[in-house]
Parts: sequence; structure tokens; C-alpha cells
Amino acid sequence: MVDLGLPLADPGTPDTRSPARLLVWVGRQQLGMLLIAIAFGTVWMVAQSLVPWAVGQGIQEGVVQGDEQRLLVWTAVLLGLALLQALMGSLRHRYAVNNGLMASFRFIQLLGRHVARTGAAVQDRLTTGEVVATVSNDALRSGNAFDITARLAGAIASYVVVAVILLSASPALGILVLAGVPLLVLCLGVVIKPLQRRQREQREQVGHLTALGADTAVGLRVLRGIGGESAFLDRYRAQSERVRVSGLHVARPQSTLDAAQVFLPGLFVVLVTWIGARFVVSGRLEPGELVAFYGYAAFLVIPLRTAAEALDKMTRALVGARRMLTVLEVEPIAAEPESPVPGPSAGAGLADARTGVTIEPGRLTCLVSEFPDEGAALADRFGVLTDDATGASFGDIPLMRLSLAELRSRVLVSEASPVLFAGTLRSTLDPTGMATDTEILTALAIANGLDIVEALDDGLDDEVDERGRSFSGGQRQRLVLARALLADPEVMILVEPTSAVDAHSEARIARALHDARAGKTTVIVTASPLVLEVADRVAWLESGRLAASGTHHELLATVPGYRNTVTRGESDE
Amino acid sequence: MSRQLPVATTPELVARAKLLSRRHRGALAGMVALHAAAATAGLAAPALLGHLVQSVVDGTTVRHIDEVVLLLALALVAQTALTWFARYASFRLSERVFADLREEFMERVLALPLSTVERAGIGDLVSRTTSDIDALARTVRFAIPETIIAAVTTTLTVAAVVWISPVAALACLAGAPLLIVGTRWYLKRAPRGYLWERAAYARVAGTVGETVDGARTVDALSLAETRIAGIDADLADATAAERFTLLLRMVWFPSVELACMLPVVFALAWMGWLVSAGHASIGEATAVVLYTAQLSDPVDRLISWLDEIQVGAASLARLVGIESVPADREESGAQPQGESLLARDARFAYHEGRDVLHGVDLELRTGERLAVVGPSGAGKSTLGRLLAGIHPPRTGEVSLGGVPLVELPLEQLRTEVALVTQEQHVFVGSLAENLRLARPGASDDELQGALAGVDADTWADTLPDGLDTQVGAGALTLTPAQTQQLALARLVLADPHTLVLDEATSLLDPRAARHLERSLASLLEGRTVVAIAHRLHTAHDADRVAVIEDGLIAELGSHHDLLEHGGSYAALWKSWQA
Repeated sequence: MVDLGLPLADPGTPDTRSPARLLVWVGRQQLGMLLIAIAFGTVWMVAQSLVPWAVGQGIQEGVVQGDEQRLLVWTAVLLGLALLQALMGSLRHRYAVNNGLMASFRFIQLLGRHVARTGAAVQDRLTTGEVVATVSNDALRSGNAFDITARLAGAIASYVVVAVILLSASPALGILVLAGVPLLVLCLGVVIKPLQRRQREQREQVGHLTALGADTAVGLRVLRGIGGESAFLDRYRAQSERVRVSGLHVARPQSTLDAAQVFLPGLFVVLVTWIGARFVVSGRLEPGELVAFYGYAAFLVIPLRTAAEALDKMTRALVGARRMLTVLEVEPIAAEPESPVPGPSAGAGLADARTGVTIEPGRLTCLVSEFPDEGAALADRFGVLTDDATGASFGDIPLMRLSLAELRSRVLVSEASPVLFAGTLRSTLDPTGMATDTEILTALAIANGLDIVEALDDGLDDEVDERGRSFSGGQRQRLVLARALLADPEVMILVEPTSAVDAHSEARIARALHDARAGKTTVIVTASPLVLEVADRVAWLESGRLAASGTHHELLATVPGYRNTVTRGESDE
Repeated sequence: MSRQLPVATTPELVARAKLLSRRHRGALAGMVALHAAAATAGLAAPALLGHLVQSVVDGTTVRHIDEVVLLLALALVAQTALTWFARYASFRLSERVFADLREEFMERVLALPLSTVERAGIGDLVSRTTSDIDALARTVRFAIPETIIAAVTTTLTVAAVVWISPVAALACLAGAPLLIVGTRWYLKRAPRGYLWERAAYARVAGTVGETVDGARTVDALSLAETRIAGIDADLADATAAERFTLLLRMVWFPSVELACMLPVVFALAWMGWLVSAGHASIGEATAVVLYTAQLSDPVDRLISWLDEIQVGAASLARLVGIESVPADREESGAQPQGESLLARDARFAYHEGRDVLHGVDLELRTGERLAVVGPSGAGKSTLGRLLAGIHPPRTGEVSLGGVPLVELPLEQLRTEVALVTQEQHVFVGSLAENLRLARPGASDDELQGALAGVDADTWADTLPDGLDTQVGAGALTLTPAQTQQLALARLVLADPHTLVLDEATSLLDPRAARHLERSLASLLEGRTVVAIAHRLHTAHDADRVAVIEDGLIAELGSHHDLLEHGGSYAALWKSWQA
């Protein structure tokens, strides 16, 4: 019955030059829908504005003149207006909501697509909380600006209708309304100014409070460990009190605004009634028309309020758009090369000019460095997960010249601190859905992770919690390794793949990994002797440069710095 | 999802609302009285207009017109002034109520059993502590006061009509059947729809959050399209929820609009007939028709704020729902005799029917250093949490000096046993505030000392504002290693006699870890330490080693005893040394 057409198949490419342009661009994308909503909104409000006219005529002809026939006619007209208004109101609402949602969803989809494609850049620029806030607050708030367009259009149309009716009855009254309404909107604007300033202050305080609230949830485990609950609660209470006080600061101008919304339109009613009543005495108006005029003046409160509300929503939408732009402006960490060149044919090795490290194809190489960060940085360069991978090459071709699609499909980097995503375990391990159960279980067996699946009620169909939190660190690492193995890339680079795994499992994983990747290029950044033992070749980095290479045992015997690092100081006891 | 945290039922919400109104009875009565006075002043206009129409029909002077309009102006001034005071009174009250609500909620959150929170996912709790509180703000600040105002105004307007002409009052009721039937129909269905919407948007936020947290993984594994499909799937669910509530409103809104207009239609016909039959004057007819027209505004507001209250009620249900989570700890008031920590036949399950620990017996010796090793997933961290009193055992006992840990007040517990894991969090606030969580009254010197004790003074001293430097989300980001040092510094400040360290130095690079462990050694001196580790050098240095396998302590003894014993620890040590 109602198809909202959401989510959008493609949210499009936004105009990110300024917040206003972003909003205009979104409006253009759904122009048809906006026009439909505006049409219904206009008919709806004009029907409402005609109610005083029907009431006035009914009073004049049916009550004052006592014509029962005319009374029935005007009652019927009034009923017709009521039905029209109800029907149009419903349709107006349907399309207004659709407009609001379409805009909000477009924003959310744009934001989601963007953060999914920028790599680590988004983390460098923004916190997770900030990004989530743009999705759960700013996108929805900015959508409201599109929701209200239908009512705003109706408000303007009904204001014009009323002004024209009054103008035709009396130029003085007509001009009073025509000039008076915009003047009142301006007056309200004056009252709104200090209100908005204090609301900003309040929002800032609320923002701090919300941050503390989010902190409570995210940091609960840490608080539990150290017992900071009561100290934390005191902080929350203190901030909550500041929010309350800032709320009282808002309350004054807000009360003034509310009182002004009674007074200013009321003044209008008083003036129109006064002039109208004098016209009746001088015979220029019928008594029933006076009732209608009173009705028009009272009705004008609605368009007036709608205009104020629309202004407020538009302002908020601009603020929201500004914040969303900070997300949308994040550049992907690894840029697509301007003119990508095809990569080397299969079986090419890797080399890095900056460190002097070369990776022979088809073998398992381990990278060990004095500081683990250096090894991880080199892995990032080989995988182009950083903005500067100059000097790193694949065969003869600089890695940064390869198209990202080709690069990612051939070279896979699996990280030290793994992230699992919610969903079934199967979809977590095999996001593309290409692997059979046997293949998944084989990969898990290599990663020594079959016991994890066996412990789950639904095995591979078990739901993984948000960020895989129900798994221990070691379990997560083994699952992530299985995920990388399933992708079966030409070049696999693993950073500390077993740092959270116990020694026993680590030894088993290392052997199984070596066999599973036989004949394929594999790089492991690690300092664990259990893994180094299975390496075909170990490269030792000192001060960021390749210092020695050979087998684990050769290096143990000949390079003291290496020995110190991999045995972690135990040998000097 | 059954795993989500509980949501309060309607009777629970009603009980809470009653409690709140009892607590603020005086302020509430004052606020209603002011609004009633303002509404009464607002009733003058139709009566005066009716009088004007009657006067001009009967013949009158301009002077009389001016006098009546002056009265109209005076009523307006009175209504304006009363509105100001009434509004301010209601804002003051609602700020108080809202502050109480959120503070009580947060108090409960901080006492929630961790296992419940983890089962539900942190996202659920985050959305309750943030967006639900935000959503409630609008309800408490605007919807509830507006509803009260609208109800008062409606009642008084009807009373005014009855006063003018009791028979005429029948017209006011013309819309009532439609209004009541339509609204009941709507209110019965709406809460489910709004809860569904909120849950759906919480999932959208969760999926986006996960994508940002895992941005590098998404990039490296080319998961962008999968993540995008996931977000779109969540949005599809949100669409279904929105569509459901939209359909409800598409029926309800027009029935309300029509119900508001029907009294005017009926009043016109009915009063016209009454005037022609000589039962009412023209002035009365005019006033009644205008009153019925004026009625539509408060009724419409009453109804539309009810809708908003539904949204707020959905959020409030999620806040109050927390209260029905059964506590996993209860203070007994018993005082521990001594510092000995003991686990007896302790079993624990995160998910019902799936025990992770299968009856662990362990007695810590005061002042000893116990290393806990074993395969990942064997239950090491779970044992650590039980020993730190974070989870109560499902069956069996974990006690300190004869008192079960979950019977000690949290503040006291943390002066006895503390836990630091590799998972860390920097709280929003200053560095000092982050540290003082562990010891609220600590002086700056004590804070500096704690930082120096974990080698953190090297970087902490270089911060722009020293201890007052703002850290955490939105401010200075600390590196994982700094974060871990911060956690250890908190531990120093908490100063418990027993420490559980779960991979507490694993994020530091080997050299820094070694250095830190040496400086920690002096701090750990004299305390009982349980060190959970997968690196065996920790075990080598410990007084005793416990090997956990499949949720049980498989081996327990000193490094040398276990090597001689020739069990799995010995085998492991051999492969490590190879």
C-alpha cells in the first residue's frame, strides 16, 4: 500500500562544497517527491484557511439572518472542508515523512559508504562516537528540514489566501495582514536569537553529558576492574546538574518565546477585531464577516508557528550537514592511482627500497624488528594500507601504481588487533559467501580454531556478537587467521597473528600455516620463536633497515640483537 | 533479539510516573494552577466577540466597541503574563524530573552485571545512555508539560461552553467518539512500532560503529561492499518499522483532524437552530461556535503530544527496563577475615548450559605471585574475572577471608582486589579525572607518583596542560601503550592487596614491557598477584603456575615442580625454549 522506496539503491555522489549545497543537492535528488508533498500540503492548509470564511458566512446567513436553508448549505460546506482537510492531511503526512526519511537515509547511506571506503583515514580524523553521532543524530535531524517543506509551503499558500480575502474586503485589513505576518515572524526571530544562543550552550553541556553516558557503557568493564563506579557517578551527577542549570537558562527565553507566541498573534486578533467591529458599526462589514475576520486572524497563528519551526529545523539541518561534511570530507587513506598499471604476473616477489627488505615469492618469510611497530609499518606499506607506500614494489611495479582492486585481491594484510563483525560466524569468516563449509572448517583447522566452533550451539550459524566481543582475544585472533586463509590471496601478510594465542596452539598453528601456504608467498611479522622456527627465511630489521637475514637458528647463533628480541630477555638470566 | 537488555512493561512505566508525580506533588499543582489561569484568560476572546456581534446586531456605539476591544486587549496581556510564569514553572519542574531520571538510571547502569551487558552488546547500552536519554529530553521538557496544558485548556473551554449554554455543550462532544476510537486504536499499536524503530536505528548505529572501529580490516579485506550491504539491510529494517508507524498515523491523524472539526460543524447547525427556535441569542451562538473552533487547537496538541509521549515512553521503557535486570551481587555486610582469596568448585557460563569453568578450586597464598597459563579459550580470563569479583560464580564460591566477593560493596571490593586487562578505555575528561576514578581523593602528587611508578611520567610531563590535559574521545588520543600505562597507574592508586593482571602489558613493545614489568615489580612487592599470560616468561618468574585447560586447573605448582612433573606445562616450556 505504501512503498517508501528505501533504502536507496544508490545514494549518488553528493555535492560536498558547503553544508547548504549538500542540502540543496539532496533536495534535487528527490524533487518529485518534494513537489508532491508540497502540493498536498498546500491544499491541506488552504482548506483550513477557508474554514473561518465558511463559519462567517454560516453565522451571517444562517444565524444573523436566520435563513435555515443557507445554514444547512454552509454547514455542508464546512463538513466538506473538514473531510478535504483530513484526507489531504493524511497524504501530506505520508509524503512529508517519506521526504524526511529519504533525505535521512540518503545521508546515512552516504556516510556508511564513505566510512566503509576510507580505510584507516576515518579513524585518524574522527572517533567512532563522532561518526556514529552523525548517523544517529545529524542525518535524522537534517532529514526534518525536508519533512517540513510540505507544511511550510502550505503555510505560505494559506497566508496568501487569507491576505487576498482580507484585501478584497478592506485594503486596510489586507495590508495589515500582508505586512503584519512577516513583521511578526521577524519579531519572533528577535526573541529566538538569545534562545538559540542559550540552547547552543545547553547542547554543549548535553554533549558532555552524552559523552559521559557513552563512556559509561563502553568503559564499564574497565570501571568494574578498578572500582571507579562511584567516582564516575559523581562526575556524571555534577555534569547532569550543569545540564539542568543550563536548561533553566534556556527556560527564560523559551518562556518569553512562548508568551510572545500568545501575545503577538493575539495583538493581531485584537487589531483586526477592533477595525472590523468599527467597520460593522459604520456598515462596511456584516457581523458574520467580523466573525470570519476574527477567524482568519486567529488562524494565522498556524502559518506563523510553522514558519518559525521551519526556520529552526533548517538551521539545525545546516549544523547537521556541517558535521556530516567532516565525515564525508575524509579522504581515503590509500588513493586510487591516476593511471593504474597492471600488476606483475603471478609469482612475483615484494621489495621495499626504504628498509631494503625483499620477499621471495612462494616462501614463508618472517619479519622481526627491534620495535614491533617497524614490522607492522612495513606490512602496511606492502599492503598499501598507508598513504605513503613509496619505495614498495611488487615484481618491478611500484605498489602505489596498482589499482586498489587488483592490489587488494592479490595482497592481503591481516592485522594484529583483529576486528570481527556481527553476523553469523559463517558470514564473519567468509564475507563474500563463496566458500563451502568444508573449506571453512579446513581453514579453521589450520588456525587451530575448530574447538571454537564446536563450543557454539549453532556452529557456523551461531550469531557473533557486536565486534566479536563474546570471544576471547586468542579466539578472535584464530578466527581472523581463518578468515585470511579463506581469502587465499596470492600474497598473505600477517601481523602478529598469534600474539594472543597460547604457546601450545601457536606452535601448532605455525606448522599448519607453513604447510597450508606451501608454494605461496607468505609474510609474518612476529617475534615469536615458535613461528620463526617454521619460516623459510627470517629478515631482521635494526633501526628500520634490513640488518641480517637467514633461518631462525642461523640468526639466533650469529646476531645477538636478534637473540635478545626473540627470547625477550630471558636468555640474559 | 532476546539477548537485548530488558524493556519495562506498561504497568511498570505507569507505576514510575505515579511515583514521580507524588515526589513533585507541590510543584506540579502550582504549575497546573498557573496554566489554568492562563487558559482562563484565553477564554475571554470568543465571549467578547459574541458580545460584539450581539451588540452590533442590536445597535451600538463606537465607544462601546472600543471598550470591549480594550477588555480583549487586557485579557491578552493577562494571558501573556500568566503564560510566561506557567511555562517557566513547568520548565523548572521538568529539568528537575529529567535530571533525577537520568542520574538514577546511570546509577543503575553502573551496577549492572557485566555478563548481562556483554550478552546484550555494548551498543544496546550505549544507545540507552545516549540517544534514549536525548529522546526522553524532548518528552520530559515539552511533551508532558504541553499535554498537561492542553488537557487543562480543553477542560476549561468545554466548561465555558457549558456555562454559556448547557445544551450547546452537546456539540462539543460530536467528535469525541471518532477521537476516542481512533486514538485507542492507535495507542494500542504504536508502542511496538516505536520500540521497533529505536531498535532498528540502534542497529544501524552499531553497524556503522563497527565499520569505523574495523576500518583497517574493512580496507585490507576489501569488505567495504559487504559492510555497505549490512548497513542497507539494517536500514531496510528501519524502513519497515517507519512504514508501520506511518500507516498507523495515516489513519489516526485524519481521524483526529476530522474529530476536531466536527464540533464546529455541529455547533453551527445546532446553534443556528437554537437561535431560530429562540433558545439562544446570536451572541451566544457566535461565542459557542468560536469556542468549538478554539477547542481544536488544544485537542490537536493533546493528541499529537500523546504521539510524542509514545516515543518518549519507548525510550523511558528502555531506561527503566534496566531496573529489572537481577543484581548479581548483594551486600551482606559481612567483613572479610584476612586477605586470603579462595575459589571452591567455581563454575561459570556466559551462555546458559555452556559452562566455561567446570569447578575450579584454587587458594591464593597471601603475597604470592601466581601465573595462570593455558590455551586460549580455556577460561583464563574468566577465572581472572571471578577472582576479581566481577562475575559471581554460577555455582561454587569465590570468597575473600570467608566472605563471597559479590557480597562486598564495590567500593570496598576494589580496595581488596583489582583487575586490569588488555582491554582499556580512556574516559572523556582530564588525565587527572581518569586517574582519580581509582582513588577519588588522591592529591596531584599522588597522581604524579602513580604515573612515575608505571614509567608514564616521561610522556605525561610533556602534555600541554599536565594532569589537566583533556583526553579521550574528542580530545587527545593516547596510544594503546599509554592507555595501558594509564590503566596500571589507576591500579597503583587503587592500592589493593590482591591484583589480577590479565595480559596487562601485552600491548607494549617487548622492551618497554620488560622495563615496565621491572618497575611494576617494586609496586607489586608484598601484594598477591594473579598474572594471566600466554607468554611463558611470566610463568617462569612466578611463585606458582596454574595451567588451565578446558575450564579446569590441570596443573598447579612452581615452575620447577611442573617441569619435573613432565605434564603439558613441561611440554610447552620445551617447545618455547627450542
